[in-house]
Amino acid sequence: MTARRAAGLVLAALLLWAPGAGAATAPPQITVDRGSVAIRLGTSFAFTSTLAAGSTATGPLVAHLNVVSLDPAEYVDPEDWSTERTRYLDPVEAGGSRSIRWSVKAVSAGPIAIYVTAVPAGGAGPIAVGPPLHVQVADRRTLNSGGVVPLALAVPAAVAVVAVATRRRAHP
Amino acid sequence: MTGAWTVVARRELADLWLRGRGFALLVAYSMLLSATTYLVATNQAINFIEQREAVGLTLQVAVAVGALLSLLAAADAVSGERDRGSLEALLLTPVPRRQLVAGKGAAALSLWLAAFVVALPYVWFLGHGIGLVAVPVSAGLAVGTLLAAAFAGMGLAVSSAASTSRVSLAVCMLVLLTLYVPTQSPVGATTGWAGELLQRFNPLTAGLHFLGRVVVDGHGAGEEASWLAAPALFVAAAAAAAGVAAQRLRLSGVRE
Repeated sequence: MTARRAAGLVLAALLLWAPGAGAATAPPQITVDRGSVAIRLGTSFAFTSTLAAGSTATGPLVAHLNVVSLDPAEYVDPEDWSTERTRYLDPVEAGGSRSIRWSVKAVSAGPIAIYVTAVPAGGAGPIAVGPPLHVQVADRRTLNSGGVVPLALAVPAAVAVVAVATRRRAHP
Repeated sequence: MTGAWTVVARRELADLWLRGRGFALLVAYSMLLSATTYLVATNQAINFIEQREAVGLTLQVAVAVGALLSLLAAADAVSGERDRGSLEALLLTPVPRRQLVAGKGAAALSLWLAAFVVALPYVWFLGHGIGLVAVPVSAGLAVGTLLAAAFAGMGLAVSSAASTSRVSLAVCMLVLLTLYVPTQSPVGATTGWAGELLQRFNPLTAGLHFLGRVVVDGHGAGEEASWLAAPALFVAAAAAAAGVAAQRLRLSGVRE
């Protein structure tokens, strides 16, 4: 029993003092350099997110950009906003930080929220979520669908008229 | 007889547009573009990226169908004369055979140019609101002309060798389908070095890919210019094949 107790104590000590066993999963604090943006449909803008480690270093992280529409009637495909939405980061040292510059293009109108998450690269541990960047995208009505019917009818008609006129000139 | 091909071209143009099916094909083509434009323009949920895609789609339809029209005309150019029994009289003229074929090629290309002009109002309608007219027009003209020239050359080469128009059209359609199949592959099949190589070497997929990158994704033409290598090479190869076939032009095709 004495040997067994001693082994148990040694094992417990090893578990308690295992370097960074619990600390490596500490999620970083995520901040963004601005709280809101107002732009027009089709324009691009950039912002910076900063991932800051606390008193312990983080493990390797996967930072990911997310885009969500706050209007239920408006569909948003994040791939259309940015083609580089995932960044693979080295561990952030204790007390240190890492900044990431994101470039996005507003391809949907209305109220949009953009936020950054950081997932532990090992897949285990809590996910850090940053505050939302509120983007108000002004709509730009550029397509008058009401004008398409005259166009759709006029062009074939014009080609037909030219055809008839050309043949009549060739064979009076 | 360096200008003989122009005489042939004028005659072929008259046959195509004054006495032939040129305008009928153009009316059908314009109705297709009207239907496409109506469908994309009346989409109530259209957003900015989809509007660029609408312009890209209309342009790709215009380029693909316009090049197809040139192929159809070229595939019937020599074998059609054979079918109608007028090839013998044509071969007895003092026109060099290469110039004969070149004149017919010019007439076939006129279908693409006419198709491009017809497509302009649709591209303008879809793109003028987002400032997307000059880029698709210039990119479409470049890619469409390359593809139309390549297909016309291929059609002339096959038509010169084929015994009948039916055989010529069948071979040309088979080649076109073979080139078109990769455009229907799932996105995953075109990723990786092998997928990209296949896309780059296929003149049709390479040309349409260039259009998509420049018009829809907004990349610079210079940045994506390497995608035009395959269409340009195909033009050279098709022109060479048409020249060789023209030199060997016989009354009954290759089976003489």
